[in-house]
Order: sequence, then C-alpha cells, then structure tokens
Amino acid sequence: MNQKTRRKINWNYFLIAPALIISVSIILVPGIMTIVYSFTDWNGLSPNISFIGLKNFQQLMRDGIFKRAIMNNVIWTVMFITIPVCIGMFSAMLLLNRKKTRNFYQLAFLIPYVLAPSVNAMLWLNIMFSPVSGVIAALRNMGLDISSPLASMKTAIYACAGVDIWHYWSYLTVIYLAALRQTPQDQVEAAMVEGAGSWQLFRFVYLPSIMTTVKMMFIIITIGCFLAFDYIKLLTGGGPAHATEVLGTYAYSLAFGSMKVGKAAAVGLVISFFGLIASSIYTYLTRKENMI
Amino acid sequence: MRKRVSKAVLSIVLAASMVFAAVPAVMADEITTAAGEDYSDREVINLWFWGAEPYAQEAMKALLVDKYNASQDNYQLVVEFRPSVDADMTTALAANQGPDIVYGSGPSFVMPLVEAGKLEPMDAYSEQYGWADKILQPYYESGTVNGTLYSLVNGVSTMGVFYNKKVLADNGWEVPTTIEELEAVMDKALEAGLYASVTGNKGWQPVNENYASAFLTHVAGPATMYKVLTGEESWVNDDVKAAVAKTKEWWDKGYLAGSDYVNLNFSESLALLADEKAPFFIGPSIAFQWAASYFTDDKTENIAFVPFPATEQVPDTTYTLGAACTLSINANVSQEHKDEAAKIIDMMMNAEFMQEMTAAWPGYWGTPLKDLSTVDTSEMSYLSSSFVDVVKSISDAVNQGNFGYYDNVFFPAATQQRIINIDEVWFDTISVDDYVQSIQDEFEVEFEKGLVPPIPKPSGVE
Repeated sequence: MNQKTRRKINWNYFLIAPALIISVSIILVPGIMTIVYSFTDWNGLSPNISFIGLKNFQQLMRDGIFKRAIMNNVIWTVMFITIPVCIGMFSAMLLLNRKKTRNFYQLAFLIPYVLAPSVNAMLWLNIMFSPVSGVIAALRNMGLDISSPLASMKTAIYACAGVDIWHYWSYLTVIYLAALRQTPQDQVEAAMVEGAGSWQLFRFVYLPSIMTTVKMMFIIITIGCFLAFDYIKLLTGGGPAHATEVLGTYAYSLAFGSMKVGKAAAVGLVISFFGLIASSIYTYLTRKENMI
Repeated sequence: MRKRVSKAVLSIVLAASMVFAAVPAVMADEITTAAGEDYSDREVINLWFWGAEPYAQEAMKALLVDKYNASQDNYQLVVEFRPSVDADMTTALAANQGPDIVYGSGPSFVMPLVEAGKLEPMDAYSEQYGWADKILQPYYESGTVNGTLYSLVNGVSTMGVFYNKKVLADNGWEVPTTIEELEAVMDKALEAGLYASVTGNKGWQPVNENYASAFLTHVAGPATMYKVLTGEESWVNDDVKAAVAKTKEWWDKGYLAGSDYVNLNFSESLALLADEKAPFFIGPSIAFQWAASYFTDDKTENIAFVPFPATEQVPDTTYTLGAACTLSINANVSQEHKDEAAKIIDMMMNAEFMQEMTAAWPGYWGTPLKDLSTVDTSEMSYLSSSFVDVVKSISDAVNQGNFGYYDNVFFPAATQQRIINIDEVWFDTISVDDYVQSIQDEFEVEFEKGLVPPIPKPSGVE
C-alpha cells in the first residue's frame, strides 16, 4: 500500500513538473525580479545596481504623468466594462434566434478581433484619422472644419479606446452568445407562455442564467484594461502631451526611453496591484456563489 | 469507417499544405539574404537595423551585404531590419546576446551600454583603419567615452528647411534667410489656406526633439548649450527658456502643421509638400530619403533644402549636429567576429560607400568624413546630389566650429526623454519655467553619473 502510494505521488510530481517548471521560470522568477528591481535604480544594463528603498514609489506618488496614467486606465476600464459589454450583449441577443445566419455574422464580426493590433491601428490611422488620405481629409474637402480626435488632449483617449472597442466587442458577442445558448429552454418557453416580452425575457431569464459568465468577463476586462498598451502605443504613443498615457505605455517609456528600469518595474507592480484587486473580487464573488 | 479515413486524409493534406507553405518562405529568406549564393557553410555576422523603406533595404543588401559576402569566403553578413531595433537591442545586449554589429540611435544611446560593458573598445580598429584621421572630429569624439572609442556615427543629420520651389515661385515668396523672413512666409501661407509648414510625430513621438534641438541651437545658441552640457551653467537660464518659449510660439501659431502635427508622419508631410499644400517642411536632412518617393517625374526638382535660417542670436550658417545612427561592436562575441564587424563598419566609413549608397538611397548615408572631395555627384539624381551638397556644407561648417547639439547625439537618455516631452509645454500642461527646471533635474543626475557624451567645443567659446 505504502509503495503504491509513493509511486502515485512520484507520478504526480512527474506530471505536474512541466507546468511547474514553466510557471516558475517565466512567471515566478521574473515576477520576483520585478519586485526586487522596483526597489533599485537599475537602468536595465548596468551591473551596478543600488537599492534605493521606496524612492521609486515615492517619486511616482509625486509624478503628475503617473497620476494621469492611472486616471486614463480608470477611464479606459469604465469605458470597456460598459460600451463593449452592452454592444456585445445586445448583438448576442440578436444573434440568438438567427439560427441559420448566426455563424456568418459571428465570423464577420470577429474579423477586427483576429487582425493584428498593428493592422487595425494602421487602418484607423490611415483610413479614418489621416488628414492626407482618410475620412478626415474627405470631410475637409467637403468644407467641414474638422480635425482628428487624436490631436486633442480632451478627445485622444476616447478615440484610442474607440478603436480598441471596435476591435474587441465581437469577442464578447461570441462569449455571451455561447453562454446564452446554455440557458435552459424550458425556462425560456415557460416565460414566453406567461407572456414575458423581449426585455423581460432578457432581464429575468437570460441574464440570471449567464451571470457567472458576465462576472467573469467583467474581471477579465478589468484586468486587461490595466494592461492596456498596444493600441495606445500604436495610435498615439501616449501623446499628445501624455493625454493618452496609461500605466503600460508609461512603464515602457521609462524602461526604454529614460532607461529607468527600476522605476518602470515599480509601475509594473502598480499594474499588478490593480489586477490583484480585480482577481480578489472575482475570487470572493465565485466563493460566495459556491457556498450557496 | 469511411468518415475516419476521410478525416485522416484531410489531416495529412492539411499537414502537407502547411509544410509546403513553409518551404517557399524559408527558401525566399535564403535567396534574399544571400543574393542567390549558397553561404550556408559560412559563419554569420549579424547586423540589426531599423525598418527602412523597401527600396532602401534593397540598396543596403546590394551595396553592403552582397559586396561584403563576395569579398571573402568565411563569413556572411546578415542584416535584419527591425522596426523596434532600439528596444530589441537594449534587451538583447542586457542578456549578453544581440548582433555582432550594434546599431544605436545616437551616441547618447551608447553611454549606458559602455557603462555596462556591452560594447567593445574600438581604439585598436581606429588605428588600423585610420578612422580618427578621416572622420570629422566632433563626430569622432561623440563616440568616445573617457577617451576610448566605442561607436562611430554612420551618417550626419541636421535640422533645416525643405521648401517647394514652385509654391514659393507661384506666390512670389523668397527663400527665407532669416527666421523673421521664414515666419513671414509661413504667415502668408496660412492666410492663403496652406499649411505654414508640414511635419508631424505620428508613429514616432521623438520627432518633437527635432524642433527642441533646432531652437536650442539657433535661439539659445551653441555657446550657451556648450556651457549647459558641460555643467558650467544650469539649464535654468534665460537663453534656454527663450528657445523653449519660441517653440511654443511656433506651436501656438500653427507653424508646425497646426492640429495635424500628431496625424502626420514625415512620409505624409513630404507627400503634402510635393502636392503644393505647404511651402515648407522643416525637419532633419535624413528626410531626403522619403522625398524620393513623392518628388518624382516633373516634380523631381521642385524640392530644395536650406540650412535653418539665421536668428539674432546665431547669425552665421550653423548646423545642429545629428546622427542617422551609430555603429559599435558587441563585446560578447568572438574575437574573429569583432574583427569582421570592424571590417564591415570600415566599409561604411568611406567616400566610395557614401557615393554608392547616396545614389541609391539619398538622405541617410552622409558619412561624416573630413574629405568629401572624391564623392562624385555627376551621375547622381537631383535628390542624391542635393543631399551630398548638404553633407559637404555641414562638413565645412563643422570644420569652422559652427555647430549646435542634437539631443539624440549629445544628451543622456533621461534628459533626451524630457526634450521629447516638449509637447507638454505646447499643450499647456506645464509652464516653460517648470519644464526647463525638470530638464535640469534629470540632467543633474545623469551628469553626476558621467552619462553625458563628450561635448565638442563650438567656435566662440573660450
């Protein structure tokens, strides 16, 4: 019996080893190194690294660009947990009863999502925002006094978020549609027999049925919003005058522009902190559900 | 059963199609890197380069890669064009990896690499190939750290004014020689519904630094900037503030393409200049390389370049010394590879190479040589020969000490980043005084750490 148990435990270690090795080497070790570097003045290259305590964090607390970056991440998050969620939910409900054409629409909607961010960003920069060849140029030729929303500090962050939402909402449609299709048909039919309208059907049957998925996506979207980087980097680089700076672009600029990798690591920790809060909320919510 | 067989057949067909799809890609790569020759038995010397335009990449392959590969039997040079070369290079070198020949976006990029021991000292190669004797002294010095050579600037760049001759002639405007004349023409252009000038930082935010560097040279003046960069004087002085305030004035007046600045890149700006939408494109001389795509056919000779006009503070023709890029040698490769890397760098540091490359790729390869008399422009296109004239003019001005400092050559990294962030002033998120103070704060730290490259002395400084 003892020998059998030991063999089983050995096999367990063997089976878990690949995942464990990968996790330790590409997640845990860099994670620990990021924490360590955040307390140093390392420039990313020099063998001379000085520990400077909490100086990086203290400087960040006084840094106006850092505060703006956090605010932009918050704006980004608020936009992403509302606009694409609503569009995705609405289109998923529309597709739910289109049994024959549903796959075609899903495929068509998903095209922006499967294209590389660089391709999408170039499309928007050159076809929409360009004053030489884009829609902006066409509207000007028609006599409208218009300039690109990327050029204004007030609108640039919304323009960037708009492009990212344009590429992202269809992904939510697919997720929500898959969840909606799991709703027990007898509940739907019973509600219809009782005379429930479309809104009531959605509010009291479909939405409660997919609530676990909605909550999970809420957390995933929130974590993703604090990791936002690609579309902003490609569309504005964080400008004009840091109007679209988010924590991700600021960390990049500190690490590769100013050669302040220690400070960039501190920004990285702040990003992780927000992700950790979102994950904790999700864990709390799901634990509560499991206990019911 | 039939279903299972058809699934198996489908799987095999799919797998085979993937393999066959991959084969031509691999073969194509071999052909482009080796120009049809089989160099698979040779050791590879790597050079990472920025993502230049396709015609420029072809020129580099034909005039550098193929030439070097044909010159010997043991090595093959492979050039990788990477749009994110700066970040890639820093990351690779930090891990003691990276290419044999190290591309840098300027001498200030080199300083932290030297401090970290990632670059090979090049003094012995300098002696072997006579670089100190043939390269313009300020450029040669900018590649040294504590007197030891670590990098060479491959091409000069300076801020100046590209103008469309036809636009000026059609409107009866003269080519400006002073900043007041330039501003007067830009005002008239705005009244006429044109752009005052076209430029922009779309896709490359560091474009901002061009205007900061130009005004630091022409408004603050080389003498002031020399004192600032050598720590003799603080950044917080009236000359520097006046220079920053002047960029703000230009921004507010819409001289820098107005609100389209963030939606235009150099390529689009030159397209607009060629289409007669503006009289000027104020930018770096390396922009000749993009002009080649738009000033074609009957427009070819519509473009011309003049140095940045005279100001009250700097009345003589003066050039802001910039670099297209720097070339260094990776310290973590074998001695044989280091020797070959030096040999390849030397191939690029002579007048013959400049002539051939400029003919094919105008604007980038303005090799900073003391003697450019052997560069023959008789067979060159209009754009190529115009560029050679600019490089010769820069060479003359440098020999007379009439030069200022481009931030990507002479400013350390964090200071350079603050210069790039000059749009904070333009968009009123910081005052001129606070902005200049923030530069001083960054510079002070980097100066103490010894991260400022050697600053050549301009004329007029004791």
